[in-house]
Amino acid sequence: MTTRIIDVHAHLGPWFFGPDRGSAADNLRSMDAHGIDIQLVSGVEAVTYDALSGNPALAAAITGHERLRGMFVIDPRFLQEAEAQLEELLPSGLFLGAKIHTDYAATPAGSPRMADALRLCAARQLPVLVHSWGTQLLDLAETVARVDDVQVIAGHMGGPAWRLAPEAARRTDRLWLEPGYSQPEADRIRWVLDQVGPERLLFGSDSTLIDPALAVGAFRAAGLDAHERQLIMHRNAERLFGL
Amino acid sequence: MILDCDLLIGRDITTGRRQNAADLRARLAAAGIDGGAVTGLRALSYDPETGNREADAAARDHGWTAVCGVDLRNPVDAESRMEAAAAGGARLVRFATTRQGIPGTAPRLRLLTRRASALGLTILVEGSTRSVGLAMMGLGATVIFLDQHFYDAGEFILAAREEPGFHASTRLLGNPDAWETIAEHVGAERLVFGARSGWSEEHSVLARLRSSGLDAAQRDLVAAGNLLRLSGGTR
Repeated sequence: MTTRIIDVHAHLGPWFFGPDRGSAADNLRSMDAHGIDIQLVSGVEAVTYDALSGNPALAAAITGHERLRGMFVIDPRFLQEAEAQLEELLPSGLFLGAKIHTDYAATPAGSPRMADALRLCAARQLPVLVHSWGTQLLDLAETVARVDDVQVIAGHMGGPAWRLAPEAARRTDRLWLEPGYSQPEADRIRWVLDQVGPERLLFGSDSTLIDPALAVGAFRAAGLDAHERQLIMHRNAERLFGL
Repeated sequence: MILDCDLLIGRDITTGRRQNAADLRARLAAAGIDGGAVTGLRALSYDPETGNREADAAARDHGWTAVCGVDLRNPVDAESRMEAAAAGGARLVRFATTRQGIPGTAPRLRLLTRRASALGLTILVEGSTRSVGLAMMGLGATVIFLDQHFYDAGEFILAAREEPGFHASTRLLGNPDAWETIAEHVGAERLVFGARSGWSEEHSVLARLRSSGLDAAQRDLVAAGNLLRLSGGTR
């Protein structure tokens, strides 16, 4: 039986590594190739260059594409700008959550600015995908624990520091894990899953930077049973994002 | 047929993981990978003599091709081992630059690349054009970059145009078009299926192979043909 797949970590727009693909049609073609039903996408322009121009550009690009839902990029260094733009763009209904990239926005996961940005999201009931890399995964968990009501997905699950994921999950029950990674070690997902449970994992690909084949293959290798597959591939995301 | 150019057996001191030859064989069978080129981690991390014996035995037992592992921290010994391996008919040698803490700027890397090339050996190098490529250019070397990430696929293409012996393993070329772009610019002959099965997630690379935009002939080259050519008939 085919399972619905919601990809909670994706992007739209050209990447500097190979700028040929940057349209919604490119995302949809890739989704079809890998059986992905819905992608939550943030704008590459908003992440890597300028949220002020990138968020509205993403809104325009996904308008009319029901399978592509927006993640509003927040640069924690400029929260007033983000608030103003949220007022403008949230009523469109195109954005279901927020995205914060710790490196591009030069905002460590454990910093006061990150906590302020998460408070902004919590006040608007926006789940947040935060780029997490290395031991910052634990810092992120601490910050989430300190910010009431915020719901955060740790993008990449710490990357090379994925063995810290269970510890991060123990520090707060409002942190979910998304294991998209271009250098996946073998058996990583099963190892984490057996410790945190299927309620805390989400399918994510980091498409269009990374081909969804990597995540699809990594989850296949984890040997999910039917219950795990339902939760991880779509139900956890449906609950978080009201899909 | 699918062959993995990046097979490893033994223990990885960094992660603490172990995988013996029987484990690896079972893993390959489960994934639908038919074999490949194997190096002993014992040779790369501790003792080339006994580590290479392990890899030789594993290759004999399972129909794989043994790769001579050398320790670049002892470059004089590495040179001797390459000479002995080549004299014994070996075609493949593995340089574990990152694992052994040898930077791409170390003269030994260039000197041993030149020596390996003179001996007719193909070098499997743990690194990319970005990290070690400069040391290996201009020597007529035949190299498989085992850690070529898609971030640097464009650099690989530029280097491969000048270096007919440069090849890239597929393991970290996991974006939507690196395989296809490399094939378009320098030919599918330059891509070698590598997954580092059991250590890295082989199912991710296999999924990328299945969904690639390569035609059947290109796919056959990448999946097995190129490694067979470089290794002289490995399985």
